[in-house]
Amino acid sequence: MKTQLKIALFLIFTNSLMLLLFGGSIYYFLYNYSYTDFYKRLETRATIAAKYNFDADKINAEPFKIIRKEHLEKLSAEKEYLYRVENNNDLAEMAQKSELPMAFLKEILNKGKATRQMDETFFTGIRHESKNQTHIVVVSAKNYYASNHLLFMRNVILLGVLLIALITTYLSFFFSRRIFDPIKHITDRVKQISKDNIHLRIEEKKNDAEISQLISTFNDLLNRLETSFETQNNFVSNASHEFGTPLTSIMGEAEVMLMKQRSPEEYQQSLMSILGQAERLNQITQTLLYLAQTGYTNKRVNFEILRTDDLIWQVKEMIDKLNPKNNIQVDFSLLPENPKKLKVMGNRQLLSLAFTNILTNACKYSNNKPVVVTIASSDDQVFLAFTDHGIGIPESELPFIYDPFFRASNTRNFEGYGIGLPLTRNIIKIHNGQLQLSSVVNEGTTVQIRIPLAKIP
Amino acid sequence: MERTILVPIDFKVESLNALRLALNTINAGKVNVVLMYAKIPTDSISDFLFYSPDEMVDSLMTTEFEEAIAILKNRYESLLGNISVELFHGYSANALSNFLEARNIDKIYFSKNYKLKPGKKGFDPTPLLKKSRVSYQEVGGESVVAERKTLSTLFNYFGLEIANH
Repeated sequence: MKTQLKIALFLIFTNSLMLLLFGGSIYYFLYNYSYTDFYKRLETRATIAAKYNFDADKINAEPFKIIRKEHLEKLSAEKEYLYRVENNNDLAEMAQKSELPMAFLKEILNKGKATRQMDETFFTGIRHESKNQTHIVVVSAKNYYASNHLLFMRNVILLGVLLIALITTYLSFFFSRRIFDPIKHITDRVKQISKDNIHLRIEEKKNDAEISQLISTFNDLLNRLETSFETQNNFVSNASHEFGTPLTSIMGEAEVMLMKQRSPEEYQQSLMSILGQAERLNQITQTLLYLAQTGYTNKRVNFEILRTDDLIWQVKEMIDKLNPKNNIQVDFSLLPENPKKLKVMGNRQLLSLAFTNILTNACKYSNNKPVVVTIASSDDQVFLAFTDHGIGIPESELPFIYDPFFRASNTRNFEGYGIGLPLTRNIIKIHNGQLQLSSVVNEGTTVQIRIPLAKIP
Repeated sequence: MERTILVPIDFKVESLNALRLALNTINAGKVNVVLMYAKIPTDSISDFLFYSPDEMVDSLMTTEFEEAIAILKNRYESLLGNISVELFHGYSANALSNFLEARNIDKIYFSKNYKLKPGKKGFDPTPLLKKSRVSYQEVGGESVVAERKTLSTLFNYFGLEIANH
């Protein structure tokens, strides 16, 4: 069932129930009241009848009669029964004459007062004592009010309940549609958006906080999707370009060599160049594989306790071998006194790969100007900062530096593929750390890394 | 020998460099540190009613500043005793000498190259401190850039640093 219909039905049901309860209780209490009231009126009449019939000598009967005629309205089918009771036989006789039930008369005699309803006629009887004589006075009448007014009242209430229920039904449907229309609109709009027209957005609505929040959430999601789509598209084009370049040069080299007979030296030289290009291809695939592997966080990596300063020294030694001209300085002025504060949980290969990437980049893009590595640690994380004085990264290109194969516009004179930084960031992410990069063109770049300390008891 | 030193701060990482350089000059003993932030006292009665120095320090404190203090604590673990951050309200030399006496300050350290940049309602207490009876020392000075950067490279100040000079 649609939510819209559910809400409408729920509203109709609860409203009708409340209306019925309201109308029903009004009718019920009024009904009860009218009966009690009517018996009281009959009792008054019986008392008056008894007074002027049996106490006539004590008071003047005539004014009584006049007052009664003038002020008491005649009830429909009003009847009076007056009897003198001397013994129990009188009661039986009385019952025969008046067709009143014996039990009713007995009750009057015993309790002094009784009421009874037979069909539409109501009876009230009282016992009257005067001059040592006992009388029973019964007044009967039809309750015109109950039979007519209450009926009318019931009809009015029923009609009202029905009418209001109709209006409620209409309003319930109207409101539930009003609530769900914008949602339906969003659904329709989102359905239209596919891979090909992901630039489309849902129009923002005013005066509707919840809905506009939903819309802006959707739009944000679409923005992120669009960016990641673009990144993916860029990745494919960049990757094919990176793979294409060495392949083209291998093919060109081979084609030139095959044009005519060559000397063995020439073949050797050309094969060497082909080998170099193939090695480059191999390196790219290796790094890409690493990138893919580190990108999936669900893959378990073996972690051990490592000392970050040790790692930095090892990396520095390795770079010293590969590039003896480097100028890496390790700054220990903030190194904590307690070596415990340098230990992190990490994977040795991955972390040294990350540090190697950052340090070789720092040396490469600064043409072996000094690179400073600062190590410090607070109470819960290790801080590493790698500062170089190289070419920097243009500010407008900073958002893209983590896209694979992206290379800044000022790196044309340097060899590289643009996979190192994304790989490094993936590695730091695996270690629950943070990597931040700030840079100013022609001034230098600082890479800050924070890795949580290992919890050693 | 236990002593207490005072370093004026502005809740920016750079202002802690004075502390780092000061600790470099001290070789042994136990050093308690009072980091002082000078703030103009409020003139609103309701603010005075709910005055709480701890809350005020909390609102001024940044994560970076806290982490920088933790780094220094780890670096000079054997040397450092207690580091506390205190607020100073007042303009007069007498108020300051009361403040210094109450905390048993033995020496005040300033950075030669860094000028405090206090925030809203704060002021630079350096001239007042220099006039006090407690001896002071200015630290740093050989290489401006190197001195300033050591701590702040760890935080996001690089772009700012370049822009400042």
